[in-house]
Amino acid sequence: MPAQDVTPTRSVLLEVKKKIKLSKSGHKIMKMKRDGLIIEFFEVMEKAKAMRSSVVSDYEQAMEKIAIAIAVEGEIAVKSAAYALKNEPKVNVGSKSIMGMMVPKVDADMSKCTILNKGYGVISTSVYIEEASKAFEKLLVTLVRAAEVETTMKRLLDEIERTKRRVNALEFKVIPELEDAEHFIKFRLEEMDRENTIRLKFLKGKGEAA
Amino acid sequence: MFGRKGKKGNYAYTVARVKAKKAGLLKEDAYSKMLMMSLPEISRFISESGYQKEITELTGKYDGVDLIEHATYTNMARLFRGILEASQGELRDMIAADLGRWDAWNLKVILRGRSFGLSADGIKEDLVPAGELDMAHLEKLMGCETDEDVLTMFGKMQKTSIPQDVLSRYKAEGNLSVIEDYLDKYFYEKLLLSIDPSSRPKRLYQDFIRNEIDITNLETILKLKKEGISGEDVLQYVIPGGKQIDRKLATQLANAESVSAMANDLAQLDFFEEIKPALDDTNSLRDIVAALTKYHIKQAKTFSHLYPLSVIPVVDYMIHKENEVNNIRIIARGLDSGLDREVIRGLLVV
Repeated sequence: MPAQDVTPTRSVLLEVKKKIKLSKSGHKIMKMKRDGLIIEFFEVMEKAKAMRSSVVSDYEQAMEKIAIAIAVEGEIAVKSAAYALKNEPKVNVGSKSIMGMMVPKVDADMSKCTILNKGYGVISTSVYIEEASKAFEKLLVTLVRAAEVETTMKRLLDEIERTKRRVNALEFKVIPELEDAEHFIKFRLEEMDRENTIRLKFLKGKGEAA
Repeated sequence: MFGRKGKKGNYAYTVARVKAKKAGLLKEDAYSKMLMMSLPEISRFISESGYQKEITELTGKYDGVDLIEHATYTNMARLFRGILEASQGELRDMIAADLGRWDAWNLKVILRGRSFGLSADGIKEDLVPAGELDMAHLEKLMGCETDEDVLTMFGKMQKTSIPQDVLSRYKAEGNLSVIEDYLDKYFYEKLLLSIDPSSRPKRLYQDFIRNEIDITNLETILKLKKEGISGEDVLQYVIPGGKQIDRKLATQLANAESVSAMANDLAQLDFFEEIKPALDDTNSLRDIVAALTKYHIKQAKTFSHLYPLSVIPVVDYMIHKENEVNNIRIIARGLDSGLDREVIRGLLVV
């Protein structure tokens, strides 16, 4: 709001003053939010780093186990065991709030997935296939958790960027403009006061002369 | 005598055929050579070692490591069926019962493929018709409308029927494991019944099968223990008829607190020394299973030459042929997936 566009009245001055007060407190809160989000971001980033290394190690283990299972039992046996699988992993998607920002909370539930209810026979299914299956279940849980942490990290980054823009907008645009407007109104009101005083003096002098 | 049909079986003819084939099996040093080869070199090497027909036949359909796997399986299936067709009398019954494991395997593949929604052609690719049921029989099974029809037809082909309680449980739970576990138990029951332990070689063979049951049972118990399952839940998967692991020992093992806690109970078993180093809760079961497999093959070697005119040389050949196919596949698949050569060497059973 350019200062020249403001109507220089006392009510507008009161309104602008209110706006300045609100903007300044908003600016303070936004700055605190930005700092809080940055602290949160660094914590999540550490988690994300750990999750990435877990994903890499779990993936390597799973691939090694499936390679061994395919080598020992044959691709046909491994494929056939996969066809028999009945239990699909359950992924629960929810949300949680970090400083007012909603982030996803994802859990992979593999608790009901035991050797007894997978769908293939307990007796004939080899340890190699079972171990590969377990390794992939573990990888899935890690991937789901990694997805949650990575999404949280990305959302936090977006939110930090947005908050930073708001803080800057308040600090360098909104508040200075409002202060300019306040200054302008005050100046205009003083000017009007002076004009009135002179006019009154002029009228008084004219009356005395008459 | 050769090829003559008799109740006792044509041992001399079948054993002579098998001995000739056994001479063609890959020697131990061949695996070391194969470990240093690339996949095309392995394909060429095995095609020069008895697998040429299958490699040529399947080249248009598969390539690389899939070609090796399918060609070796097809070759093994043909050889096993050739032995089955050449044998007669009680020998045939015993071989057919032993090869019944492949019938059970194929039935499982069909049921699993159907439950996944695979087409008949898709299922057919994964079948290994090395048992009594040839591809024509298996195609009939694949052509059935429902799983119950498949099981009924399989029962008719095997002159048996799947018990009603097993079928009801399968219908209620929709879990194929009910059928699969029944098939595994039924296979060993039928195999033991087919062996008449009236002579020393047949008793040896029976002992060998009972040892195999022990090994299978121990593997099952270990798998379930690792999952934290114990007691009666474990015992229902124990196959009756084992030589050393009877009901009492199976119960003790099933109730043990952990894998390492089973060591005392296992100490009385013949193969304890083989698995002792791997008996640790932190260890992978793979090491124990690999040790058991090696022990089982070693057992077959110890008595294979004792009774030349018996079922033993035939079974010995079939075990070694299957082992050869497994070893070729381990090398090919291992190299293809980039496994370390020492890891692959450790997986080989030689």
